[in-house]
Amino acid sequence: MEDGLSTPVGTRRSFFVKTTVFISSLIGISLAVPLIGYIITPAFQRRKKEWMSLGKADALPVGEPKAMDYTMTEKDGWQETQTTKGVWAVKQSNGEVTVFSPICPHLGCGYRWDQQDRLFKCPCHGSIYDLEGTVKAGPAPRPLDTLPSKIENGELLVQYEEFKSGLAKKVEL
Amino acid sequence: MASRLYQWIDQRLKLKPLEQTLLNEPIPGGASWNYIFGSATLFLFGLQALTGMFLMVYYVPATDHAYDTVQYIQHEVWGGWFVRGLHHWGASAVMMAIGLHMLQVFFDGAYKRPRELMWFVGIILLAIMLGFGFTGYLLPWDQNAYWATQVGINMVGSVPLIGDFLVKILRGGETLGALTISRFFAIHVAFLPAAIMFGIMLHLFILRRVGPAGPHDEAKAKAGSETFYPRQVFMDAVVMLVVFGIVSLLAFSVEFPLADRADPSDHSFIPVPEWYFLFFYQLLKYAPGAWGPLATWLLPTLFFTGLLLLPFLDRNPERQPSSRRVVLGAGLGFLIIVFGLLSISLRDLYAVPKRDPSVVRGIALVEQFHCKTCHRIHGEGVNVAPDLSFVADRRPDRDWHLQHFKDPQSVSPGSFMPKFPLNDKQLNDLTNYILTLKSE
Repeated sequence: MEDGLSTPVGTRRSFFVKTTVFISSLIGISLAVPLIGYIITPAFQRRKKEWMSLGKADALPVGEPKAMDYTMTEKDGWQETQTTKGVWAVKQSNGEVTVFSPICPHLGCGYRWDQQDRLFKCPCHGSIYDLEGTVKAGPAPRPLDTLPSKIENGELLVQYEEFKSGLAKKVEL
Repeated sequence: MASRLYQWIDQRLKLKPLEQTLLNEPIPGGASWNYIFGSATLFLFGLQALTGMFLMVYYVPATDHAYDTVQYIQHEVWGGWFVRGLHHWGASAVMMAIGLHMLQVFFDGAYKRPRELMWFVGIILLAIMLGFGFTGYLLPWDQNAYWATQVGINMVGSVPLIGDFLVKILRGGETLGALTISRFFAIHVAFLPAAIMFGIMLHLFILRRVGPAGPHDEAKAKAGSETFYPRQVFMDAVVMLVVFGIVSLLAFSVEFPLADRADPSDHSFIPVPEWYFLFFYQLLKYAPGAWGPLATWLLPTLFFTGLLLLPFLDRNPERQPSSRRVVLGAGLGFLIIVFGLLSISLRDLYAVPKRDPSVVRGIALVEQFHCKTCHRIHGEGVNVAPDLSFVADRRPDRDWHLQHFKDPQSVSPGSFMPKFPLNDKQLNDLTNYILTLKSE
């Protein structure tokens, strides 16, 4: 360096360095907190649970599964979209109705009702379930998933839920 | 820990010489608070780039989604209002920082030989930043965005011979719509950022080749020099913190509202440009008749040409302000005109009388009694009953409204409007509000 002014040394220098580091961290953290929150918001948004009507419960035949569907409004980011969801409803002999999620708990395919064998069969990997949803054969790790349902004023109401596939226990998504 | 990690990397990548080149640049006359404007500008630009990237995560540049996505960012995404606020206020702050940076360079004569090229690139950077401002303004697709951009595009249309052609390119066809928003978005987030990154690098490259100008005072400059790091870096950091504090505080406390969704059929909307275009907006009010179109393109062209050529027009090598009276005088004159116009414009904008408290209470009553479930007022509400947007044009009669609210059927037979339980004060407030609903 030339004469006169020169680079600060000693504690003066370390003061400048430390303050600069402190200030940059302060700005960095004050930005990181809102920005990270901003970007991860969708991971914390829960599906709105509403009771959706599937129609009159009386119309269901006892011991005979019925594919039923209903239309619900789903919020997809800033858009509200109408989607149709299908479920399987089975009226037990005691008059109670079990509603099964239409998704095979193994890996997420849609299973069918085999009228001849009176069993639910999944075409993808061969999981087979009976009317109660119990696993009869195949790789399925757990029984069919039931959805929360109730009967009010003769109407069958259901709440849409989805569950993680491949687990021995039912874990809501 | 951090220093050991640095050592490990340094042994492999040999960073020390690079660090020396970057940080030990000598500053003639030493570090100074005078030199913070460039780094403040760079910092704010970085903040704009960062917040802009995050806004893109939820934003959709389409006429049928843009407004909804901005609403979504503002009201539903966690921290969205803050990120949008930072981007909005940051845009104003970066313009101010550029203005101050230019003033400092101008006052100190730092644009003179050998720094003409740096000034030249700087002016191009200014133009790019104004381009950011112009293209970004349209993106929320609210009334202000739509109509202000309409005005801006029409100004481009006044360019002789090729004006119409330019307008069509800018707008992407005949109308301001889907093609416009997507191309403005592409310009705002891809073309201009690429151009400005290149420009900033060039600006800094030239700075490092020719060195900082240092003080205009010869004696001070001769007193010696000081390395950029750590004192100038420290000063820059302090300023960045202050600037960041101001912008965050504004983002935190002053919500920048969205106007109504863009409505191309609503010609009653009066758009206002961003404040950094206001002086020009005001100036155009004084350009009568045939001068108008001339002013919209000739003045900006002259302004930018003048700025670009400044180092070649002002050939006096002297940097001392005392020996540059003419140039500094001209600069001061320009500033007086700009700030004069800006103040007139701001005065006019804020001279609009504040809302009568009674009218405000009337607006609250409209919400309270859900009037908009049947009536439409300025684009809000349902069109079952008559649109009330300009009802006072049709019915300026105060007594009619008072009677109507008490008993709708008595003045307008067959009306299905129910009687609302309003006391006299409420009747008065509601009527006061209804009578403001007229076109000017």
